[in-house]
Amino acid sequence: MKIAVFGTTLHAGVMAALLAEYGNQIYWCTSVTCEENISVLSYQDQEVNNYLNKQRKAGFLQESPFSTIPLDVEVYLFCFSPTQIQLALNTVEKLSQRPIVHPRLMVNGSTFGLHGTDQLKQYLPKDEWVYFPDVIQEGNAINSVLNVKHVIVGVESNHARDTMQELLRPFFRFSYQYLFMPILDAEFTKLSISGMLATRISYMNDLAMVAEKLGIDIANVKHGIAADTRIGAAYLSAGVGFGGENFSHDILTLSSTVSETGAKSRLLEQVWAINEQQKEILFRKLWNYYHCNLNGKTVAIWGASFKENTSSIHNSPIHILLAALWAQGVTVRLHDPQALDEIAATYGDREDLVLCTDQYEVARGAHALCLVTAWKQYWSPDFKQLQQLMQHPLILDGRNIYDPAYVKAKGFAYEGVGRL
Amino acid sequence: MSKSIEKFPKELVSPLLKLQSLGEKNSKLQIKELFASEPDRFQQYSIKFDPLVFDYSKHRVTKDILEQLIALAKTKQLNQWIERFFSLDKVNCTEQRAAMHWALRLPADYSKFPDLTEQVHSQLQRMYTLVEKIHAGQYRGATGEVIQDVVNIGVGGSDLGPQMVTHALSDFKVKTAKPLNVHFVSTMDGSQLSELLHQLRPETTLFIVSSKSFGTIDTLSNAQTVRQWLEKALGTHTRVLKSHFVGVSTKADKMTEWGIAPENQLLLWDWVGGRYSLWSCIGLPIALSIGVEGFQQLLAGAHAIDEHFQNTNYEQNIPVLMGLLGVWNNNFLNIQTHAVLPYDGRLKYFAAYLQQLEMESNGKSVQRDGQKVELDTCPIVWGEVGPNAQHAFYQLLHQGTQAVSCDFIAPIQRYNADHFTYVENAEALVEQHHLALSNCLAQSRLLAFGNEALDSTELEKLPIYKQYEGNQPSSTLLLKELNPYSLGMLIALYEHKVFVQSVIWNINPFDQWGVEKGKQIADQLLPILNGVQNDLSALDASTRGLIKILLGKVDG
Repeated sequence: MKIAVFGTTLHAGVMAALLAEYGNQIYWCTSVTCEENISVLSYQDQEVNNYLNKQRKAGFLQESPFSTIPLDVEVYLFCFSPTQIQLALNTVEKLSQRPIVHPRLMVNGSTFGLHGTDQLKQYLPKDEWVYFPDVIQEGNAINSVLNVKHVIVGVESNHARDTMQELLRPFFRFSYQYLFMPILDAEFTKLSISGMLATRISYMNDLAMVAEKLGIDIANVKHGIAADTRIGAAYLSAGVGFGGENFSHDILTLSSTVSETGAKSRLLEQVWAINEQQKEILFRKLWNYYHCNLNGKTVAIWGASFKENTSSIHNSPIHILLAALWAQGVTVRLHDPQALDEIAATYGDREDLVLCTDQYEVARGAHALCLVTAWKQYWSPDFKQLQQLMQHPLILDGRNIYDPAYVKAKGFAYEGVGRL
Repeated sequence: MSKSIEKFPKELVSPLLKLQSLGEKNSKLQIKELFASEPDRFQQYSIKFDPLVFDYSKHRVTKDILEQLIALAKTKQLNQWIERFFSLDKVNCTEQRAAMHWALRLPADYSKFPDLTEQVHSQLQRMYTLVEKIHAGQYRGATGEVIQDVVNIGVGGSDLGPQMVTHALSDFKVKTAKPLNVHFVSTMDGSQLSELLHQLRPETTLFIVSSKSFGTIDTLSNAQTVRQWLEKALGTHTRVLKSHFVGVSTKADKMTEWGIAPENQLLLWDWVGGRYSLWSCIGLPIALSIGVEGFQQLLAGAHAIDEHFQNTNYEQNIPVLMGLLGVWNNNFLNIQTHAVLPYDGRLKYFAAYLQQLEMESNGKSVQRDGQKVELDTCPIVWGEVGPNAQHAFYQLLHQGTQAVSCDFIAPIQRYNADHFTYVENAEALVEQHHLALSNCLAQSRLLAFGNEALDSTELEKLPIYKQYEGNQPSSTLLLKELNPYSLGMLIALYEHKVFVQSVIWNINPFDQWGVEKGKQIADQLLPILNGVQNDLSALDASTRGLIKILLGKVDG
């Protein structure tokens, strides 16, 4: 099929690459403002870039200015970020002015909240519209599409449903893999999934707080819960809280949708509040450890991105942690394998922020080392070197990646989240 | 009456005597007649001082009377007194202190008193830093949680002023990183505390212990209770005291002794009277509510009145006129009570605040030279939010036998700033404001004009018990809107009005010896009630009898 892709999200890149891989002809308009100058995108995720480059070479994928997209394209895919709704509306308005033979299949792959697809449809009412939720996980992009067992699709007509199934046939061979439902239901489902995952995390963090006070190791509790087949193992880790642009945006959208309907449910507000509170838990541990006096101390931090394998610091716990530490007169020494540029761009030059490209360098003279992101390179560090560099051997493990007994045996004071 | 008068040339009759005869002559003078004879009376008897309008046309005064009142002020050397007041002079003679609350609102670049200004601003700056930290959600309790409730523990000036202003400026509450609530606790019996504590979390609560002397038993007993409450939850550590208490006082040593960390001590000075102290760090709850910028606006409004008071001739000087009109009503028309009636629910505590300001300042009967006063001093000051008072005591104002003078206070605009607290309902609320304004005007009109304000055809058939005599004098103060700046002006107006009257009566408005002794006697009685001492022989029979009941020795 000839397919036009609009937008620059990771979802756009992954779908362009995968659809091209299976022989579709992809015209990718990477200018969200539909300008003629078009750029060739690359992502933090090298696997996605490799896929894209392969198809560019093979000729199945070409970046195309808006005006060069052929008029006989059969499927249009819109993958904008949640905040770009106006740009998306401009794009469909511009499309409506082209002499396209309607109906075509229009696929909304952007998360614009409830009725987002409907808003786009207003400009192209004669076409068949479909909502195809963005379920891409940063750091695990390709697999997060290929490995789902069921795919949720919001459709309103049989024709749209058949075309969509044809489009996705190479990835999802069996008809039981398709969960078709009305568009609004699919939009709500997409948000509800994020809500459920967030709720699991906040639930675990809430329990972690109690576990700490009772002398229970939350890691044991987590494994126990995960072993129950009714529950499963995903999203059960206590830690410094969830972040990320899309995930956080989903929770807030869902939460405000709930409150706008007048329903008195406060669950999601609580989930969000617990998470915000959790983002500064390492600060509170430090505050207690040093008896409410952090002025003039130096704190080393490992990790700034909201999770490993991405450079995104959107809604990452790092921001709340930095603000809290700085307000008490602490100097922060920070390392992250990928996100230092983002941090520098956000905070600029400050005396109380030292960015280090060597992970051991941050420990020099530090009164504590806080682990914020579970990058692989932090899992098995050279404890001896840390011990020598630090002014005081305190490790605060925000992702519970270390073995407390081992770290303590190495001469460190150690605290995790929900374990001492 | 006379010692002061004889200093003047005999052929001139003193303003006081003239006023007395004018008072007698005009005792039947009707406000409606004044309006009939002076069609432009409103223009003649009102003053505009942006953003404020002071209308005193509904008072029982003529130009002649005003002239004599001003002459009286001059013979009482008001000019010299104002000069002394705005200097480092010890105008509080019985305590040998200056009374320089005006210095608390000097702008930072004020050149006349550089040292004083520096001293004041260094403490304000410390307070602002604290406020910013709390607003940013970065002031931490002992467990590292963010402070979300602040409780002001204080009484008298450390309570009434901050609470009145905080309530009045509730529409100007700033948005903070985390929700922040400010509470007030004052009574020594712990009433407010018992209500409050079970709703608060120790981890997220900060207490301000606000006491000029840091010896006020009411405040210290409340502080002791919350200290125990905190320590029960968080343990007995110095870091609990350090993280959960801020002190505001003149006595750094006493704060330290109590356990307040030096960095959490905010200072004021002996030259600030308690009831004049809301402009200092005693105003911390105000700044917490309306923010640093709001607090600075409050100070700026008061400073504008300080300048107006010093530099405006008496004919146009609002606080001077307020003071003199009060003297005229009280001393020459024999109107012994004064009601303050704000038509704005936010000014709920304004009357209570003024009761302290006026009655603690001018409720005196000895002159500065030790002689008994020659004229009656402070009238009884009372009041209530107007629309509510209409359903309570307005009956007495309209048809009772007491003569009462009134101050009507109202904002012109309200619900006009799109503030988050009311923006969604602004339209309906504006209607309600107009309703309040129309009531304000109706009441002052009916009080002044009586039956005259009614429809003449209606009047003919009206039985006597439905009629209104009128002739109750009133002032009306309109504010463009009630905001930090205009409220600062309003409060300073009353402060200076009180000063003007104290000069006419030749009394010291800055001491309060009448409230000292009771505290000492209570100190003597406490050991008896605690059972430590049981000699009752020095007491009067009534007190003895009551103590016996309290101790359960006799059936109550």
